[in-house]
Amino acid sequence: MSSDNLEALPKGMSLFQKALSRFFKNKMAVASLFVVIFYGIVALLAPWLPIHGFEEQVLDHQNLPPSLTKNGGELLVERLRFELEDRAGRENRSLTQQENEQLEKFEAQIRSDPKHARRYLLGTDYLGRDMLSRVIYGGQISMVLGLIGALTSILIGLIVGGISGYFGGRIDSFLMRFVDILYSLPYMLLVIIFMAVFGKNIFNLVFALAGVSWLTEARLVRGMVLSLKNSEFIQAARVIGASTPRILVRHLFPNVMNVVIVFTTLRIPSFILMEAFLSFLGLGVSAPMASWGSLVEDAVGSMTIYPWRLIFPALAMVIFLFCMNFLGEGLREAYDPHSEKIL
Amino acid sequence: MMTDEIILEVKNLSTYFHTEQGQVKAVDHVSFVLRDGETLGIVGESGSGKTVLNLSILRLLPSSVTVHAGGQILYRGRDMMSLNESELQQIRGNKISMIFQDPMTSLNPYMKVCDQLMETLILHQGLDKKTAKEKSVELIKHVGIPDPKIRAEQYPHQFSGGMRQRVMIAMALSCKPDILIADEPTTALDVTIQAQILDLIRELTREMKTSVILITHDLGVVAGICDTVAVMYAGRIVEYGTVDEIFSNPRHPYTQGLIQSVPRLDGSSDHELFSIPGSPPSLVNLPAGCHFQPRCSKAMPICAEKYPPEIVNGNHRCCCWLWHRGEDRG
Repeated sequence: MSSDNLEALPKGMSLFQKALSRFFKNKMAVASLFVVIFYGIVALLAPWLPIHGFEEQVLDHQNLPPSLTKNGGELLVERLRFELEDRAGRENRSLTQQENEQLEKFEAQIRSDPKHARRYLLGTDYLGRDMLSRVIYGGQISMVLGLIGALTSILIGLIVGGISGYFGGRIDSFLMRFVDILYSLPYMLLVIIFMAVFGKNIFNLVFALAGVSWLTEARLVRGMVLSLKNSEFIQAARVIGASTPRILVRHLFPNVMNVVIVFTTLRIPSFILMEAFLSFLGLGVSAPMASWGSLVEDAVGSMTIYPWRLIFPALAMVIFLFCMNFLGEGLREAYDPHSEKIL
Repeated sequence: MMTDEIILEVKNLSTYFHTEQGQVKAVDHVSFVLRDGETLGIVGESGSGKTVLNLSILRLLPSSVTVHAGGQILYRGRDMMSLNESELQQIRGNKISMIFQDPMTSLNPYMKVCDQLMETLILHQGLDKKTAKEKSVELIKHVGIPDPKIRAEQYPHQFSGGMRQRVMIAMALSCKPDILIADEPTTALDVTIQAQILDLIRELTREMKTSVILITHDLGVVAGICDTVAVMYAGRIVEYGTVDEIFSNPRHPYTQGLIQSVPRLDGSSDHELFSIPGSPPSLVNLPAGCHFQPRCSKAMPICAEKYPPEIVNGNHRCCCWLWHRGEDRG
């Protein structure tokens, strides 16, 4: 509202719209949002991007370093020349006639084979697979895992917490004691046992992760519902004769949703991290599929020799997690500008 | 205006809660009648059970905390106690509706004002969305909010406290209910707004011939707009009668105390304001006999022994040993 126009009434603006307008004033959060959107688009468009397949192996191209200018063949020639020159250097001589011939022959052989024209912006792994492609496809799986995991656990948490908080009494104590028991068990152990019993695949992984991580959500939702159900507008809704399902859906959930949205955003990174941890233990995504976690795990053994195999997936993951956290934090502040770090 | 037709009859209503400390008798053997078009004021200190009484009438108390609910609530001859939840939903908001104390929290912050008004209309009058919307804009206009079309599209946080209370009134009266329960409708409002809101309630309920149960602890309000008054103390109605009777001829020492503690403009300014000594008893640990007896200046030995039976004098009912003859006191 401008100062010369005090008479005009502001348009109806919901708390959600207000929160959005506050969110867009937060530069870091908006920047993070763009990064996250970029990640999302790249992951979605992966099959159509001009990259190699993530499972395509070129065994000649093992462990090639990242290069913007040279293709695979040139890198191989360079590697051979480096080896020969290194040996010659140690013996204090220049390349022999024989060695030069060997190099030329190798070069000719490489030129004749079109597969050596492949380029690897981020290098290759131990089976000659393109790291760029693997990081992108790995990101796809990591992000989907994070999203589905967070959504599933929020859904379970919403249902359990909602029932527990709204109906209260015996149902509440029963459900909450159940949550307490699950809380007291080491959740990683549960996931590991689950994966060992039901087999190693992505669905089981998501299921196991969601199965142990809805507890915090349930408690959060229960607390909110408890305080909301005694609020006057819920009572007012009962006074006007609204039925219980109607109150839950129309009055209670919209008021819980803001916290749930924020919490989900903050939850996605923790799922990605958990998956990375499990992959690191060898319980996560299995080959030829990749996730950021499994890529890191593959690379750790040889990280001193081929550091790019570790750096790129790790960097991709760290940037994404960082941005997700900023995004979640930004959303939280936008929804609840008065509170200081409550979650 | 006020007719003789009895619209709501509460007989011996009791509501007890179970707490860690013991049983709380929030409402204890309360009886009163509400006639068509009548405005009944329920006065009493905080914690005297006024709100619980009204929540009990609408059967809004969760059954999990109520250990004992006895008595009858007859709405047009139907016992509210025997109705099931869906029958109750038909009555709530439609036939009996309620306004709450705090307008700041009684509207859903995530819903447009018109959507909240429409909810009642759609639920009870079976209107389609378009007519309900038109009707809700009309209602907003009716309760005296300017620019109703724009206001209808706004959210509660864009309204002031008085305006929100107007919206609550519009919502409560949207189905032209038989009974409006107003639970301290002006307590949370600015003094200047209080009178406006009360006027609005009075005007609209007169127009719609709605009976009102007005809960308040402001005797001035009662004198202004009520026809009858029930004075509650520690969960019981201690005195009940017409406004004129109660104010001109209060019989219960508690009512007398209440009336004396109202500051008067015509009183001398160096006169100290009267207050009833002591504080209201805890509902868990009620004093024996008459609950008011420890604070009463006219207490007699019998007062600490037995709760006084009701003494009826025309329309004026009172529970106090003072008005019983000697032989009754036994």
